[in-house]
Amino acid sequence: MSKKLISLADCCVAFDGELVLDHINLYFNDSEFLTLLGPSGCGKTTTLRIIGGFLTPTSGEVLFDGVRINDVPPNQRQINTVFQRYALFPHLNVFENVAFGLRIPKTEAGKRKKARLPEEEIHQRVLEMLEVVSLKGFETRRITELSGGQQQRVAIARALVNRPKVLLLDEPLGALDLRLRKDMQSELKRIQQQLGITFIYVTHDQEEALAMSDTIVVMDQGRIQQIGTPEDIYNEPKNAFVADFIGESNILDGVMHEDYVVEFFNRKFKCLDKGFAPMEPVDVVIRPEDVDIVPPEKGQLRGTVTSVTFKGVHYDTIVDFKGFKWLIQTTDYHPEGETIGIILNPDDIHIMHKSPYSGMFGDYSSYSEEYDELEDISLLEEDVEGGDEE
Amino acid sequence: MKKQRRSGSRLFIGLIFLFLYLPIFLLIVFSFNAGDSSAVWKGFSLHWYGELFQNRLIMESLYMTLLVSLLATVISTAAGTFAAIGLYSLSRRKRDALLVVNNIPMMNADIVTGVSLCLFFVAFFQGWGGVARWVNGIQNAVELPTRLTLGFGTLLLAHIAFNIPYVILNVAPRLRQMDKNLVDAAQDLGCTWMQAFWRVILPEIKPGIVSGALIAFTMSVDDFVISYFTAGSSTSTLSMTIYGMTKRRITPEINAVSTLLFLTVLLLLVIVNVREVRQERRGVSLEPRKLTWMEKLSVRTSTPRWRWVKRGAGAAMACCFVAAVIFLTGATSSRPVVNVCSWGEYIDTDLITRFEEETGIRVNYQTVESNETLYSLLKSGGADYDVVVPSDYMIARLIEEDMLEELDYGNIPNFELIDDRFKYLSYDPENIYTVPYTWGTLGIIYNAAVVEEDISSWSVLYDDKYAGNVLLINNSRDALGAALLYLGYSVNTTSEAEIREAYALIDDANRRGVFQGKVMDEVFQKMEGGNAAIATYYAGDYLSMRDNQAEGVDLAFVIPEEGSNWFVDAMCILKDAPHKTEAEMWINFIASTDANLANMDYIWYASPNRVALEQYPAYYEELYGEELDPETYEIMAASAEVLERCEVYENLPGETQQLYSRLWVELGTG
Amino acid sequence: MKNKRSLFAVPYVGWMALFVVAPIVMVVIYAFTTAAGGFTLENFSSMGTYASVFTRSFWLAILATLICLLIGYPAAYLISREGPRFQRAAMMLVMLPMWMNFLLRTYSWMSVLENNGLINRLFAAIGLFKLINGVTGGEMEYFHMINTQGAVVLGMVYNYLPFMILPIYSVIEKMDGSLLEAARDLGAGSARVFSKVILPLSLPGVLSGVTMVFVPSVSTFAISRLLGGGTQMMLGDLIEQQFLGGAYSPHLGAAIALVMMVIVVVCMVVMNHFGEGEEQAVML
Repeated sequence: MSKKLISLADCCVAFDGELVLDHINLYFNDSEFLTLLGPSGCGKTTTLRIIGGFLTPTSGEVLFDGVRINDVPPNQRQINTVFQRYALFPHLNVFENVAFGLRIPKTEAGKRKKARLPEEEIHQRVLEMLEVVSLKGFETRRITELSGGQQQRVAIARALVNRPKVLLLDEPLGALDLRLRKDMQSELKRIQQQLGITFIYVTHDQEEALAMSDTIVVMDQGRIQQIGTPEDIYNEPKNAFVADFIGESNILDGVMHEDYVVEFFNRKFKCLDKGFAPMEPVDVVIRPEDVDIVPPEKGQLRGTVTSVTFKGVHYDTIVDFKGFKWLIQTTDYHPEGETIGIILNPDDIHIMHKSPYSGMFGDYSSYSEEYDELEDISLLEEDVEGGDEE
Repeated sequence: MKKQRRSGSRLFIGLIFLFLYLPIFLLIVFSFNAGDSSAVWKGFSLHWYGELFQNRLIMESLYMTLLVSLLATVISTAAGTFAAIGLYSLSRRKRDALLVVNNIPMMNADIVTGVSLCLFFVAFFQGWGGVARWVNGIQNAVELPTRLTLGFGTLLLAHIAFNIPYVILNVAPRLRQMDKNLVDAAQDLGCTWMQAFWRVILPEIKPGIVSGALIAFTMSVDDFVISYFTAGSSTSTLSMTIYGMTKRRITPEINAVSTLLFLTVLLLLVIVNVREVRQERRGVSLEPRKLTWMEKLSVRTSTPRWRWVKRGAGAAMACCFVAAVIFLTGATSSRPVVNVCSWGEYIDTDLITRFEEETGIRVNYQTVESNETLYSLLKSGGADYDVVVPSDYMIARLIEEDMLEELDYGNIPNFELIDDRFKYLSYDPENIYTVPYTWGTLGIIYNAAVVEEDISSWSVLYDDKYAGNVLLINNSRDALGAALLYLGYSVNTTSEAEIREAYALIDDANRRGVFQGKVMDEVFQKMEGGNAAIATYYAGDYLSMRDNQAEGVDLAFVIPEEGSNWFVDAMCILKDAPHKTEAEMWINFIASTDANLANMDYIWYASPNRVALEQYPAYYEELYGEELDPETYEIMAASAEVLERCEVYENLPGETQQLYSRLWVELGTG
Repeated sequence: MKNKRSLFAVPYVGWMALFVVAPIVMVVIYAFTTAAGGFTLENFSSMGTYASVFTRSFWLAILATLICLLIGYPAAYLISREGPRFQRAAMMLVMLPMWMNFLLRTYSWMSVLENNGLINRLFAAIGLFKLINGVTGGEMEYFHMINTQGAVVLGMVYNYLPFMILPIYSVIEKMDGSLLEAARDLGAGSARVFSKVILPLSLPGVLSGVTMVFVPSVSTFAISRLLGGGTQMMLGDLIEQQFLGGAYSPHLGAAIALVMMVIVVVCMVVMNHFGEGEEQAVML
């Protein structure tokens, strides 16, 4: 595709002896939109801070254009960041916030004297950038007088006005409401394409990641779980964690009999996967929306509906198959207690090698609405932790 | 109903403000008083404001207060800000532990802070003396001072020490509220850490720094207790000067200077408040607004040329400040100085000016209130006097403890003029340490307008008849001395039983509520104002009280039949005094006939100078055009037969001294 | 990056060790030694003599603190109910007296309370004493006010009242208005809202106010000297006497200061325990 701009080679970070990043190897291409995706505490923000220069890896190397930059302080990197809560300077107005980086005198290579940009250039560049983020006319506003979305744009403008080669975004949309978030997603994508620079985006929101990224890096417990395009990640998750974290999944224990044949629930199914050892135990992933419900007599499997939740476009239907509960998303309503049959087509079944995550995800026996809330709580926890690091 | 409640609440608040401001209002009103009383209105005048600028004591202490407060504020604000930033980058547990220590000076009683710093400084000085001598011994390049005393330096350190916690307390919440990412963001945008500090952290926590500095400054200006224990003797803040004056009589110049300070602050606060209100109103609107002049200035001054000007101005201000400090402290130290310690209102202040003009030596004139206090000061290392003027028995004690320097009488030719009656006295039998300053008697002063009988005995001091109207003299020697005389014992007795009997007499009267208070120089305003009827004090002071007595007060003086004390106060130089030559010049100057005459006229104490004592009635007549009342002269310079009845205090043995001070402390505890 | 910033704390830690901790250590050392330098407990054992000074000081300080609380709390509360401009002005007025030297303010009370002072002159001028004497047949010429314990307490209340009002006000003022609405909504009457919501929530302010009034009150020596006449010593006088007063004995003075400090600290710890979990109110 294009050349490697930043590489992390075997990077580890330990806080108080605890490994937060565990041998990360990763590279970022020029002008791509890459997302670090993972739950709180997975190491994605830590990775971002290493790239930004706020954190030096305990071991390993950070390379920028092939040059080691481990010890280069953030102010000398051609990288800018949009912070989680924007970190706008409340004592400055919109214009001065954006102009902040331009006003810093820089030492140019070969010259001893620090150079300042002429005021006219600063003016021009700031106004230009405010136009890019659609904030023209807001120059003299105070930061406190702006809405969340506007603050977001100021933060982006402030970072981009310095013409960085890479823009880091640390959960920049976390504080916005749903509607605004959607708007900003496309806005960000547009800006990235317009300017053609690398965006490295950190989020815990898989939908956001799928919608915006060229490449997604899924992380958990300080390790990279999978790297790939959004389609790859969704369709071909590498392990139970990825399968579960990206979208909903029913994950079952199975045995690979031979190429293209997998057995679960004591039944053999055709699938599209190959290359496993004969009789290798595997994890079988079935996406809830891929399951076709048919009358019981026509189904490959038969189960009983135990709960139904209306979700707008579809119903979340929990079906009990011999004690194992599946989530099935269907547009048809099947009342509780009804017996149904299902059919699985070969391309509905995805096979993964066993991993330490096997058995931890994909069972909807205890499914409830609380699940959604849990995610919010974990977001909060990360904030607390992030605050303490300082 | 609601309206009623509201006006009730306003009434209550109003009453509280009345309570808070009534005394202040009085102070301000009386600064415009034509008379010098703080209770009797004699008409409007700006007299005291003019007088204020002539009053060296007040102006110097005002200057000292402002200097110390400003320096302490600047230093502690800078130090406190950095400390707060440092503290906030520590882990929470460490930070909390340090904050506990940080809060100690704020939670501790001022007096404990003051005392502990005083002990610390004195201990440090003692240690320093040894180190300095050792260093001076092994090398010649630098001569370290071996003798350090409490003074400006310790005062400043103490102020900084108690100010820093207030600064931290005000800066800390700002740091806590500050988005931690701001610094990262600034660095991300190309700042080095220092640039980020100046451009982001500082503007962010500025309100905290400003309010911290303001509080520090307020605390510094208002502080009395900590200064009192750490300033030593040669440095005096406004508070300390006022404290010295409250004992005697606050001159209305103090009212004037306080009024000026108060009004300045009031004005500043009003301006700041009005501006804040305006800004707030502006801040609420969501409309795009015009730049305030401040912002315009900051936009304009952020161009390189302006920035240079701004930086230059800052540097110039800093230089001026440093230069002023160096100049002012230098100016005071480069001129020869003599540090003199005496009693309150015990010199014609013109003499100081005259001496300074004649010799070019600056006189640092301080006062203490009693021999015992002087002794404490000397012992605690709080004093760096050259000349002191203790009374006879205290001189003996100081000689005994080897605290005085022998005088070189060759430099003090005026010693010849001292009457032989006052030479070779028991406290200094060979007369090698002292030159007498004044002499006088102790007696009873009473308000004849209230006390109808003719008093002739010490018994009135212990009589229920005058309960609540008698002032006990607040020094153990005189108070117990009077009681001993009343009981028929010698003032120099060493018998514990006799002393205890005398103490019991006073203690009993105290329990019965005979005494209104224990006073030294407070006696002046109490007696002059007719606020007490009977007091024990010195003849000379009686005469100056009589001069100032309020209407309806008729003060009289008597030396009781049982006898009394006659005393000599003499000038001596302390051991290792740093300015011995200047000190001898001062002593010689004061011993001259001219000076003695001026002093006699001003303080009404008898002079030991033979010529001056004889010439005084003539001098008085020439000065005032009227004859000196012989009775007055008799009170001033007691006749031989009166002196016959009086005893001189002798230095008491250590045990008896301890008994005195123990009993004296116990008296107040009953 | 982090380490660099925490370096800023190092000089201050050194400073505190030198000017906060070391002086207190000096007090402790002095308290346990004799003038000759030997270890002794005599400074403490002889303190029984001064028990009355301790009780008097604490009693008067408690009294002054209570009065300050009784006046200061309603004042702070009532001010907080007023409009913002009134509040701002009122707070300024509460703080302003600190700019008049406290000795002078106290001295001013002296001239008010003297036997021949303003109040007595006023009463004499309106013929109050004649009236009283006419009724009782006595020979009253003045009310005796100066040099009494009452005058000392008045002086303390006068000087330290702002220290009570300020922290209480700042806590009440910051209180979330919706809390009060919630309480009302749940059916609480005004009295109940006050006793169940406002009062408990303002406790941190009360605690810091109490500390800020009590500590200087218990240790004052200027006020008791000016308004109390010095015949009835307080702890501050006693300590001052040992250092700069007539009875030079710094070792005893240090011991008394130490005991006072310990008692005050214990009081405060107990009090803070009482209001546990509440954040310490900001001072001004």
